[in-house]
Amino acid sequence: MHLSFPDYLIICLYFVVVSGVGFMIKFKIKTTNDFLMSGRNVPLWITSLAFISANLGAQEVIGMAASGAKYGIMTSHFYWLGAIPAMVFLGIFMMPFYYGSRARSVPEYLALRFDDKTRSLNAVAFAVMTIFSSGISLYALALLLKVILGWSFEFSVFTAAGIVLIYTFSGGLTSAVYNEVLQFFLIVLGIAPVVAIGLYEAGGWTGVSKNLPQAMVHTWKYMGSADDNAMGVNAWSMAMGLGFVMSFGYWCTDFLVVQRAMIARSMSAARRTPIIASFPKMMMPFIVIFPGLIAVALTNAHSGFSLPLKADGRTDFDMALPALIAHYYPSGLLGVGVTALLASFMSGMAGNVTAFNTVFTFDIYQAYIKKDGTDEHYLQVGKVATVFGILASIGTAYLTAGFNNLNDFLQLVFSFVNAPLFATFLLGMFWKRTTGHGAFCGLLFGTILAAAFHGLTVAEGKGGWLGGPIHTFHSGMGQAFGVATVAWVSCFVITIVVSLFTAPKEEKELEGLVYSLTPRLKDAKSPVLLAIAMIVLGLILNLIFF
Amino acid sequence: MKKFTDLRFIIGLFFSLTGLILLLSYFIAAESNHPELNLYAGGVMLTFGLVMLFLFYRGDAENA
Repeated sequence: MHLSFPDYLIICLYFVVVSGVGFMIKFKIKTTNDFLMSGRNVPLWITSLAFISANLGAQEVIGMAASGAKYGIMTSHFYWLGAIPAMVFLGIFMMPFYYGSRARSVPEYLALRFDDKTRSLNAVAFAVMTIFSSGISLYALALLLKVILGWSFEFSVFTAAGIVLIYTFSGGLTSAVYNEVLQFFLIVLGIAPVVAIGLYEAGGWTGVSKNLPQAMVHTWKYMGSADDNAMGVNAWSMAMGLGFVMSFGYWCTDFLVVQRAMIARSMSAARRTPIIASFPKMMMPFIVIFPGLIAVALTNAHSGFSLPLKADGRTDFDMALPALIAHYYPSGLLGVGVTALLASFMSGMAGNVTAFNTVFTFDIYQAYIKKDGTDEHYLQVGKVATVFGILASIGTAYLTAGFNNLNDFLQLVFSFVNAPLFATFLLGMFWKRTTGHGAFCGLLFGTILAAAFHGLTVAEGKGGWLGGPIHTFHSGMGQAFGVATVAWVSCFVITIVVSLFTAPKEEKELEGLVYSLTPRLKDAKSPVLLAIAMIVLGLILNLIFF
Repeated sequence: MKKFTDLRFIIGLFFSLTGLILLLSYFIAAESNHPELNLYAGGVMLTFGLVMLFLFYRGDAENA
């Protein structure tokens, strides 16, 4: 990929704008709340777009195009099934507790609802995961820039980390959120032209369909059996593993995304944030998955474009989107495309770092190290945590570069930790009898049993590290959904059993934290109709591509 | 100073400038692959940027 002057000009303009945003916002930062929670005064349209942008990192953009090229439109399950229902559920049922409790973070909600040990378990696991995720994002950015621009690993890592440091250190969460929204528009406007020209060259959707195997242009038709589709997953496994456990576990409990709704100006806006965000979310497959399908269709049609190959001769699906951009974009628009990719990497990193500094400051430092500090003191701690988060991300990027399988290993561990979480929150919010001991044991043993299930099953040569496999999955994805389901069910059952044998909190302490003990909201702008509209739209999209 | 902390202004400014760069690239750059993409994308980005700036100035006037 050869960049020229207009391309570099656009990249420089982006760097100047994001750094400038941080610098200007710095003057508005007076308190810890301003730095870590944006003063809880962010307009609805910004929180909504930031909500989905926080999840729109480069692994998502590049990875979804790669999945589109590998599995076809079935990848949209990660949106239409694996996001929309969970986002709507968060807005209708869970935000009233997150926002209404005035908790500053998800772990802090756990402290209010359960106890400190449940909070610490979640806070420490989350803090470690955000740092590693941020480092992996940085590593992936450096790899991509090396391939497409020829930049060295060191230059890419330190340039990206330096810019993220400038704007997150200066402007805190507000700056990160602003850049996430800017990145959202950059991705949409920067990638949409490649979809348009790709569809045009391929002869529209009819031409794309004609040049792809039928299983790649249907979402559900080939999911009757795991043998019939490239994902190796059947409809039940997809609905339970992805549509329920993984999706609700991520969208309803991950502080990185929930934080974007928690900084809204009012309860009403906080509830509508994930529901409004679900509309652009359901449209994202046309921007991030379609390029993958188009790339394969154009390759099969011998149109002059072909997907690049790896050194071992296999197709390099990860390069589907960058290859399309390099092939079709003229100088100028090429700069926009590269900037969109850069922005998505840096935004993903900034999102992780700003979630990390909040959890570290409120749930680790203030909770266990210094309880009675001044606001100025916690503001400084938040800033130091930001610098530490960036440095640790750089360290993780180098660690990932040094150990080939570290990325896969970490993703696996994260899945063990994340999978049981939704069971804990569901019981905590909707069953007042749930106790802190129950939640803690459920989370702990849910994670352990998830790991054990992975060790007793195999897929694509992975797993089975606990001895003779009890089951062989068709694909790694099927195994991941199975692990998540086992984690959720075991956490759910263990939490109930332990809760029944331990003493619950007084009902008075649970007001505003549990559904049955919280007065119903009289919201003039009830989001229920909006939520129904989003669910119906999601169903229509599923039917169109059935 | 205040306008630099309003996201509508920031987005408007960024996309207006990016749109202008793309349009200039279309009119003055040497021949390249699908040059018309710069024209269309530049037009869309410039329009989007100007709309965001308009929304910022309208909101600013209402608040004044």
